[in-house]
Amino acid sequence: MNLFTIPLRNLGRRPLRTILLTAVFTVGVMSVVAIQQLSTVVGNNLEEKMSKFGANILVTPKTESLSVSYGGLDLGNVAYGAHELESSPVLSAIKGIDLKERLSAVAPKFAAISKVNDIPVAVVGVSMTDELNIKTHWYPEGRFPQAQNEILPGRMAAIKLKLQPGDEVNIEGNKVKVAGILDPTGTEDDNVIFMDIDLLRNAVGRPGAVHFIEVAALCAGCPIDEIVEQIVKAVPGAEVKALQHVVKQRMSAIGFVNRMAWSVSGVILLTACFMIGLSIFSAVNERKTEIGLMRSLGFSTGSVFSIFCLEALFIGSLAGVAGYIGGFFASGKILKTLDLGKADITFDPFAFGLTFLAVAALSVLSAVIPALRATRVDPSRTLVSL
Amino acid sequence: MLRTKSVTHRYGDQDNPVTVLNDVSIEIAEKSFTSVVGRSGSGKSTLLSVISSLLKPEEGEVYFKDNEITELSKVEIDKLRRDEFSIIFQSHHLLPYLTAHENVLLPFLDRIKPVSSKLSNHGLKCLERVGLENMADRLPGQLSGGEQQRVAIARALVKSPSILFADEPCGSLDKATGNEVMAILKSLNEEGLTIVMVTHDPLHAQMASRVITLEDGRIAASRLRNLSAL
Repeated sequence: MNLFTIPLRNLGRRPLRTILLTAVFTVGVMSVVAIQQLSTVVGNNLEEKMSKFGANILVTPKTESLSVSYGGLDLGNVAYGAHELESSPVLSAIKGIDLKERLSAVAPKFAAISKVNDIPVAVVGVSMTDELNIKTHWYPEGRFPQAQNEILPGRMAAIKLKLQPGDEVNIEGNKVKVAGILDPTGTEDDNVIFMDIDLLRNAVGRPGAVHFIEVAALCAGCPIDEIVEQIVKAVPGAEVKALQHVVKQRMSAIGFVNRMAWSVSGVILLTACFMIGLSIFSAVNERKTEIGLMRSLGFSTGSVFSIFCLEALFIGSLAGVAGYIGGFFASGKILKTLDLGKADITFDPFAFGLTFLAVAALSVLSAVIPALRATRVDPSRTLVSL
Repeated sequence: MLRTKSVTHRYGDQDNPVTVLNDVSIEIAEKSFTSVVGRSGSGKSTLLSVISSLLKPEEGEVYFKDNEITELSKVEIDKLRRDEFSIIFQSHHLLPYLTAHENVLLPFLDRIKPVSSKLSNHGLKCLERVGLENMADRLPGQLSGGEQQRVAIARALVKSPSILFADEPCGSLDKATGNEVMAILKSLNEEGLTIVMVTHDPLHAQMASRVITLEDGRIAASRLRNLSAL
């Protein structure tokens, strides 16, 4: 028997009230845990999907001044082969960084100015498979190129060159076939012709050269700057830029999900804390005589304060454990039921410990005001008939 | 052992103050049994609250073992209540969720350190002292009014106090049970415990060695009784 006996016995004295209060707090914690788990999964999913709508990192050769006409590249200069990277070592280095799991696509490009039907046009050599990993918003009239000698003109370029799917044209001495015409994208992609990177660079006599590389990275939980830093270290001769507007756009969408999750969690926790505070408050009012008696027996104000905080702590601890476990399983179920994404929720002992401590601390915090009120109970007024 | 010097206390607001104690000076000798009597509203319970440190008087001083307790800090008052004073009330004020034995040990439940088996046995002995050794495991709801008050006396004794204050200890008991409680108090005093008791029952007051009568907040009479002559 010690100080814990009084709050424990008192909670046991009114089992229904204790169970109800714990249940309400547990549901609150459960909701918060589930919302946080879901928002993380949904956020990651959202980012994964968004990263398929373009790159957020650009790797270019190091240069003092690089004017932008396509993807940040000065096409006028590249025609002379002045600014190039070695394809194989650079791609291997990028794909070998520590955060490689965060790279969803790496798409190298080689650009050149060529003439089709005697009209000058920009031709961009791409690895079609890698490119389609980044440009999931592309949709062709006809089909995407499947063979090396097939090309994909942008809509404006096709109109300018009067190209139709199935047409055959000559680019840099290679007879190539139009596999499809890219539907309008509203970007520079509409003005160029996409063809196989190896075919183009061999044709212009620059085998293995690459002008720039677009990288799509998943940024949730990992700052883009860290990925950029690792690529810079891996490819010393390259300039690596994070396309901050793209990153910001994506992070703001994910941030919105997170902010909403935290707001809802805050409201739920506040309500739960309010209920605990209210319950302890009513307990203090009901037990004024008991408090007065304890004070008359020499209980310090600290001991009286502790008794009520401990009551809240017991409820909070119980709710913390049950709420986390409940929220953990509930989020898995909800993900599965609503098909919100891959249910890759794993039990994290650190998160569990943190939740437990946070909930316990919050519950004690909720009891502080009523517990302080308990310390001010005057024993002479509650015990003696004056 | 305990004395008051010109203690005055008022209730109510500044415009309509009600003086319940007016310049009261008393002295309680060690090992004495003092009863305070008077009509309702005469100030006897307020006097008990003041001398037992539950209430700080507006004016005057209270000394215990020559130390002025009216000037003590809250922490020192807590220590005084814990180590030196014990109080029993008209209502027993037992905690309904603790057994009789646990209620007796309540003064020791203010710390994280568990109650030692030595203290626990001492608690049982206190219950034995009031004749309730067989009811140690009963909850207050399973005890009669007299038994509950006896548990409250055992709770007061468990700290081995220097002085026991009793505020109408038999006020809510029938005559026979009240007499039983008074017999316990009397024997405790005979064993050397100083007792100050507030009562409205003249018969119970006559069991004390000294009777102080209060009227309108003032001491109307203070009589020493020769108990050996009774």
